[in-house]
Amino acid sequence: MKELEDKIIQANSLESLEKVRVELFGKKGILAGEFAKMKDVPGPEKRAFAQGLNENKAKLQASFDARYEALKVEEIERVLKSEAIDVSLYGTVAQKGALHPVMETMDKIIDYFVALNFSVESGPMVEDDFHNFEALNLPKYHPARDMQDTFYFKDGGLLRTHTSPVQIRTMLETKPPIRMIAPGTVFRRDFDVTHTPMFHQVEGLVVDEKGKVSFANLKSILTDFLQYMFGDVDVRFRPSFFPFTEPSAEVDISCIFCEGKGCRICSHTGWLEVLGCGIVDPNVFKAVGYEDVSGYAFGLGVERFAMLMHKIPDLRSLFEGDIRLLEQFR
Amino acid sequence: MIITRSWLQEFIDLEGVSNEKLYETFNSIGLEVDSINEIKIADKVVVGKILSCEKHPDADKLNVCQIDVGSGIKQIVCGASNVVDAEYVAVATIGAVLPGNFKIKHAKLRGVESDGMVCASSELGLPDMGKGIMILDSSIGELEVGREFGSYDKVADTIIELELTANRGDCLSVYGVARDLSSALDIEMKQIEYKQEEKIKLGIARVAEIHTNGKIDADLSYKLATVDSISGSFLVDLRLAMVDVEAKDRLSSLLAYATHTTGVILRAYDSTCFTNEEDKIKVTPTSKAKGITEIIANEKICSVVGVNQSEESMATQNSKGLLIEASYINPDTLVEAVSNTKLKTDELYYKTSRGSNNELKFGLALFAHLMDSYAEFSCYEGSLDVALKREKHRVVVDAKEVSSIIGMEVSIGKIVTVLQKLGFEISKVSEEVVSVLVPIFRHDIKNIQDITEEIVRIIGINNIEAKPFVFAEKARLNDVTSRYKAKKEFRNRAVGVGYFENVSYVFSDKTSLQKYGFEVTKDELELANPIAEELNTLRSTLIVNLLNAVKRNVSYSKKSIPLFEIGAIFTPTRKQSDVISFIFSGQSESESVVNAGKPSTIDFATFTQKVGAVIGAFELEPCSYNNALLHPYQSANVIVDGRVCGFISKLHPTVQEEYGIPVTFIAELDLDALLPKHINATPISKFQGVYKDLSVVIDKSMGYYEVAKVLNSLDLDMLKDIYPVDIYEDDKLGDKKSLTVRFFIQSMEKTLEDRDIEMVMEQIMTVLKNECKAELR
Repeated sequence: MKELEDKIIQANSLESLEKVRVELFGKKGILAGEFAKMKDVPGPEKRAFAQGLNENKAKLQASFDARYEALKVEEIERVLKSEAIDVSLYGTVAQKGALHPVMETMDKIIDYFVALNFSVESGPMVEDDFHNFEALNLPKYHPARDMQDTFYFKDGGLLRTHTSPVQIRTMLETKPPIRMIAPGTVFRRDFDVTHTPMFHQVEGLVVDEKGKVSFANLKSILTDFLQYMFGDVDVRFRPSFFPFTEPSAEVDISCIFCEGKGCRICSHTGWLEVLGCGIVDPNVFKAVGYEDVSGYAFGLGVERFAMLMHKIPDLRSLFEGDIRLLEQFR
Repeated sequence: MIITRSWLQEFIDLEGVSNEKLYETFNSIGLEVDSINEIKIADKVVVGKILSCEKHPDADKLNVCQIDVGSGIKQIVCGASNVVDAEYVAVATIGAVLPGNFKIKHAKLRGVESDGMVCASSELGLPDMGKGIMILDSSIGELEVGREFGSYDKVADTIIELELTANRGDCLSVYGVARDLSSALDIEMKQIEYKQEEKIKLGIARVAEIHTNGKIDADLSYKLATVDSISGSFLVDLRLAMVDVEAKDRLSSLLAYATHTTGVILRAYDSTCFTNEEDKIKVTPTSKAKGITEIIANEKICSVVGVNQSEESMATQNSKGLLIEASYINPDTLVEAVSNTKLKTDELYYKTSRGSNNELKFGLALFAHLMDSYAEFSCYEGSLDVALKREKHRVVVDAKEVSSIIGMEVSIGKIVTVLQKLGFEISKVSEEVVSVLVPIFRHDIKNIQDITEEIVRIIGINNIEAKPFVFAEKARLNDVTSRYKAKKEFRNRAVGVGYFENVSYVFSDKTSLQKYGFEVTKDELELANPIAEELNTLRSTLIVNLLNAVKRNVSYSKKSIPLFEIGAIFTPTRKQSDVISFIFSGQSESESVVNAGKPSTIDFATFTQKVGAVIGAFELEPCSYNNALLHPYQSANVIVDGRVCGFISKLHPTVQEEYGIPVTFIAELDLDALLPKHINATPISKFQGVYKDLSVVIDKSMGYYEVAKVLNSLDLDMLKDIYPVDIYEDDKLGDKKSLTVRFFIQSMEKTLEDRDIEMVMEQIMTVLKNECKAELR
């Protein structure tokens, strides 16, 4: 018996164990042989003989099963081991590009206003004097036109200097109430460290019945918007001047680099100027034939937002398709 | 606009108002502070009196001075040549530490002992006042020998630079800024009257006359004076340096000082220019056009009001007779006229075009007062005047309307107080309504919203409580919004397959575009003022810009350069449309263990897959585009929904070489053709289908698209899908090739029997034989 059990235990692979199984439990196996001896056993002893034999068989079966399980685990372990690779080699093979930080910032801005049920509007980049200046209360010779160095075409057409002409187009095409943003590409004839001849703006406009839209409304939405964009910042409004709004304000956020303590980026003021806004000037409504309405408008530069949000140091690098910059935004 | 604290102090008492408070107030009333510079003069720099000054025995350029510095008489060697003219000077005594950690110590200069230094302005951290040391005078206050120089308020001043918006011409003077400040800080303006003595007891009309010619639209006021020996004023020179105003001589310094102080436009003429044959001074303001008034003397144009002055007519510090002119012209009229006439303008035009001060007598009085103080100056009695009756603009202000624009209750009492402080005249109409007369210097104020802006400025935007706006809701998801979302989807997909988003200028180089055979903007519609040669036209393709981006990336040692851009292009008539463009240069993937560090170079198949992953399904046909970027044998039309919507191609090797970049593939597609369309589902069969391959031999020159056309024309219900799976060419086949196409056959009604399949395959073979001269392989 001990000898048989050792056979099972000594089997060191599933194959050799199978051989042992045939030797022990097979039709012509040792156990079968023992059971065959039953017929020669005298009657009264038969019962005890059979009982002993069955007990031994059960014992052997149990050690066989245990051995089989153990060898099976070993076998799987061996297969698994044979499939081992250095997974750490593959951490760098994933291929993904990246959205342009300016476009991604624009997306984030649009998402906010779409969630507030603003419509998105667009207009042509090549504009005329009426839509870009005249209708926006910037008559010819207005000194504020100096602020906007314009690209002109030989036929008098021009590249829009802001997205505000989209306001005019939308107001001419639809009726109040209006709640819109106009994201788009704009152009100024300026090229240095802090200016590129092309950049992006998002313009917003809300128009409703007279007496309904107020400066307080403008403060409310822009404060919320800027905190959505920049997190927990203080927002400050300063009176300013734009020909198409009256009253007008420039809006600052507390400096996100020094938390308002004053640093090089905020010129030690603790504040960063981020957008312009105001109550729509009555002359603008007059130009589009609106009567008895009130409205607010605001505009912001997307590059400035992107540069502040992502701490991008150089404006011009944004227009060079430089993968070294872009791949940081994967 | 630059001002200084002590200068403001002449008009408004700022005692008790800190610089922080000033900064805050300026910002909150819309006069944005660009910079504040508090000047600190080092300790132990004192007023000294030069008792004697002799040439240094061993150095031509040095002087040895005996200077009383209060605590004693010191011998100081000085290198500035103007020390010989000085009586009082600023002396840095032993122990003083000047800016730049420059310590003043006892020294021996070429053998002569020196106990201190006579200072130039820049050595003390003051603005540069030109060559030499500062020669002090009592214009900064009584000069006491030994007194700390920094204890003079007018020296240790605070320089404040304001960035003014275009409408605030009224703040282009110290006086104007003080007036705005007075309203915001609720401090009364000081009442100032400049004393001047008209020493010549003779009316101006006895020697001079004025004759207008035509309808004059400017206000003019003239005074006549004789003058001799104008001395400098230290304070005038110091302040002009602080506010960065340059003047060419002492007379023009005083003129510039008076104009910067009062905002009144002042010019001085040499009176001899105006003296006619009868020895009388004759001034002839002549209206040339609306807004253009020429001042003519002896048939010569001496100046154009608000615009410029002729060199010959200008008085200098050597002129003996002065005709002094103060003028005002409405800026709106002036700016339009100047733009039409293209007249050359001088430095005063910045002020006149934005609105100068029309209180002419005020400006003249300050100038005369300065001349009295710093020159032998004798003025004739009275003045010659041309004064227009200017109607002040009237605005009716309803407190309710102002409140509704602001979104906060503002009482009529508050409105009246604010406006009065700002110089508006108020008369009551009813309980809640007043009629307001706008002062001339606020020509920018025309309606109730302008008035509201003034109210908002002074009460402070930060004191307005934010209130959300309540809408009557309706959905605003319009076509533009959907288009934007579709674009965003394309962009996200492109990023998913490894592209980087590029943003380039909408401009391009016309010569490059033409050279590569792209259409360009018509000459008569071309940009009139491009910013640079390489950005001189609107782009008609994005590919050239992308090629430049690739080139830059190659120079940054990038080996795999996948870029895409969605952007506007323009036709020759400047019609704008959007395209999506791809460029892929160099390695098809990054180096890794997957490719043993040697990734394959991008090829047509991989590129096409990577474009397809972004834009969705398409078909390809031989390219019908015609530009020099395309590879003649590896380029295709991209067909979406049966329409050609762009091209996909290998970059022509010649261009690749020109740019010095590795193998590159390009694609440009009309975005509108790719926008998502409405799709209806087709029923799906419940029965099993079978795949069948068919290999046929066809002409080498025949493209798969031709075979596909024939197969698609079959229109068999059971033929569900057709696609090529293999192509084989060898010498034995000669000018033929073998093409294997896979078919998927399935019925909507039943399980297919062999007979059904054979029937389909037979029909396929028949058309291929007939239409494509194909043979079974």
